[in-house]
Amino acid sequence: MSLNPLLPFIMAGDPSLEALPGLLSEAKALGLEAIELGLPHSDPIADGPVLQAAAHRAIARGATPLRVLESLAGLTDSPDIILFTYLNPLFQIGVERLKALLLPTPVKALLVVDLPFGEEPGFESELHSAGYPMVPLLAPTTSLDRASRILSDRPDPGPSAPFAQRFAYVVARLGVTGTGQDTDLGPVSRRVAELKARSERPLAVGFGLSDPRSLASIRGLGATPVIGSALVQELSDGRSLREALASRMSDGA
Amino acid sequence: MIEAFRLPSRFGAQSLGGCYAPETLMQPLLDLEAAFCAALEDPSFLEELKGELRHFVGRPTPLTPAPRLAAKLGLKALFLKREDLTHTGAHKINNALAQAILARRMGKTEIIAETGAGQHGVATAAACARLGLACTVYMGVTDMARQAPNVARMRLFGTKVVPVEAGQGTLKEAVNEALRAWAGRCDRAHYILGSALGPHPFPTLVRTFQTVIGEEARAQVLDQSGVLPEVVLACAGGGSNGLGLLLPFLNDGLRRVAVEAGGHGTALGEHAARLDGGRMGVLHGCKTLLLQDEHGHTAETASISAGLDYPALGPELAALALDGKVEVRRASDEEALSGARMLCETEGILPALESSHALALLPALAAEGVTTVLLGLSGRGDKDLSTYQTRLGI
Repeated sequence: MSLNPLLPFIMAGDPSLEALPGLLSEAKALGLEAIELGLPHSDPIADGPVLQAAAHRAIARGATPLRVLESLAGLTDSPDIILFTYLNPLFQIGVERLKALLLPTPVKALLVVDLPFGEEPGFESELHSAGYPMVPLLAPTTSLDRASRILSDRPDPGPSAPFAQRFAYVVARLGVTGTGQDTDLGPVSRRVAELKARSERPLAVGFGLSDPRSLASIRGLGATPVIGSALVQELSDGRSLREALASRMSDGA
Repeated sequence: MIEAFRLPSRFGAQSLGGCYAPETLMQPLLDLEAAFCAALEDPSFLEELKGELRHFVGRPTPLTPAPRLAAKLGLKALFLKREDLTHTGAHKINNALAQAILARRMGKTEIIAETGAGQHGVATAAACARLGLACTVYMGVTDMARQAPNVARMRLFGTKVVPVEAGQGTLKEAVNEALRAWAGRCDRAHYILGSALGPHPFPTLVRTFQTVIGEEARAQVLDQSGVLPEVVLACAGGGSNGLGLLLPFLNDGLRRVAVEAGGHGTALGEHAARLDGGRMGVLHGCKTLLLQDEHGHTAETASISAGLDYPALGPELAALALDGKVEVRRASDEEALSGARMLCETEGILPALESSHALALLPALAAEGVTTVLLGLSGRGDKDLSTYQTRLGI
C-alpha cells in the first residue's frame, strides 16, 4: 500500500462555488487521491478562526448545502471527496434526499464533526449502506479502548476500498482546527504507533499542521498529514492550489 | 477510563437531547457525568453545596406575596419566587456554584463559561473567586454593550472576559467560543454551561442544580396558602430557570407555563420563540427545537432580553412542551417592558428583563380566568437599568 502524501482540506464556496470544479480538477492533476471538502455551516464549533471565516464567507456568497452538492453532481475530474461538515445541515436535508444528492458526486465518505458513533445509528447505517461511511475520528482525549470501539463501529472495508472510505482521522492536539504553531508531535506520534500496531488501517493526522517539516514528520510515521486552515488561508489570499501545495506534497524541503 | 454514559441522555417521546459533541470533548463529558453521579452520592459534596447555598447564596430565597399587583390584574393571589434576591442577583448562581464545587473535586484548576445577559458570567465569576479557581467568560460584543455593569462585575471578581465578535455577538456565539476554548483546555479546565442546554450530561446536570428553586417554592406556597396555585409560571431562554421552577410541580394537577421571548415580530429573526418558530435540529451538542433557516443554518434571533435571546429551547423543556406537560407561550419586548413597569409600581421590585417576560403573561392568564399564580422572578433588573431608562422614557 503506497502512502497518500497529503490530504488537503478546502472549503466549498470559498473563494467561490464557481471555482470549485477547477480546484478539484487541479487537485486531481497534482496526483491527490482524496480531498476533504468543507460544507459550510453557520456554527462550526470545532473550527478555528480561519475555517470559521471561510465558512461565513461561503455562506454569504450563497454556498448553501444544496448548491454545494449540486455543483459536485457529474464531476469526474476530481479526487475522492470526503465531505466534512456538521450534523444539522445533513439532518435538515434528510437521509433519503441526501443519498440521492450524493449519488452523482465524487463524495466517497462523510466526516461529521459533531456526530459521535452511536448517536444517530439509523442515519449513519443508512448512509453507510448507500456507500457513504462516516470517517472515524480519534482525539488526544480518546482512550485506546474507546478508539478500538470507534474503529470497530466504523470499520475498515479493507484494501480494495479507496483511502477515503478506509482511513481514520487522528486529531494531533487538543483544540479546534488551525491556530497550530509548533504543535508538539510527540503525543500524536505515540498514538499513531499504537494504532498502527493494532491495525492495517490507513491513518490521517490533522489539526495544527502546516509547515513542510511537520507534514514530513507525519509521513515519517507512515500516516497522511492533513492540511486545512493554512491552505484555506492561502487560497483565499489568491495563491493557486499548485503553489500552495508545491512544498507540501513531498519531503524535499 | 469511563466508557459509556450511565444517566439517560434523551428526553420525551421524540428523544431530544443526546450528545452531539466533537470527539475531543467526549471523554471530558463522560468524566463529568461520572463525577456528577459520584458527587450526588457523596454526603460531603451535598453538605458543602447546602452550606454554600445557605451562607453564600442566601437560600432559601423568599416567596413574596404580591397582593397589589394581584389586585391590579384581577388575580386572587400572586406569589413571587425571589431568585432576584440571591447573591449575584439571579438563579444562575445555584448552578454555577454547584458546578464550580464539582470542578474543584475533579481536580480542575480553570473554569470556562459563556454568558448572555451576564448573570451566569457574574455568578460563575463569583463562585470561582470564592473557590480560588481561574475563570474565563466568553461574551458576545452586543451583550457586553447592553449588559455593561455585569462585565464590570465579572472583572472585579478577577475573571477574564473575552469579547466574541462573530455573528450577532450574542449568546449563541458565546457558546460556540466557549466550546472551542474547552476543546483546547479540557485537560485542566471545566466548562460551566449556564443553561439546561448542550451535550449530555449538561442539560441534566444544570437542571438538577436548579430544581432547588421549585422545591423551595412548592413547600413555601403550601406553607403560606395551604394550596397549590393554578399556574406556575417562568420565563425560558435555554430553560434552566424554567425547568428549575416547573419540574418539582410536574406531578401536580396545575398548569406549568414557560414564556419565551416574542421579540419585536413574528418573522424568523425577529424573536426567540422556538416552540412555534423552531424545527427539530442539532445545535451546541443537543437535538431540540431550533430556530433555523431551510439550510440548517442557525437563524438570527431578537429579544430585548439578552438572557432569552438564544435560538434553541433546552431539550428537556422542549420535550415537556411537545409532550403536553408544559405550556410554552411568548411575550413581546413591549409586553415585557409593561410587565416590568407594573411590578415596579405596585410592589417596589425591579425585575430583570428576562423575568419581565413571565410578568408580561399575567394579564393574559387573568383574562383566561386564572386566579392564583406562582411566578419565578429569576433575576433582578439593575443590569437592565439603561434599557428601562431608554425604552420607558424615564
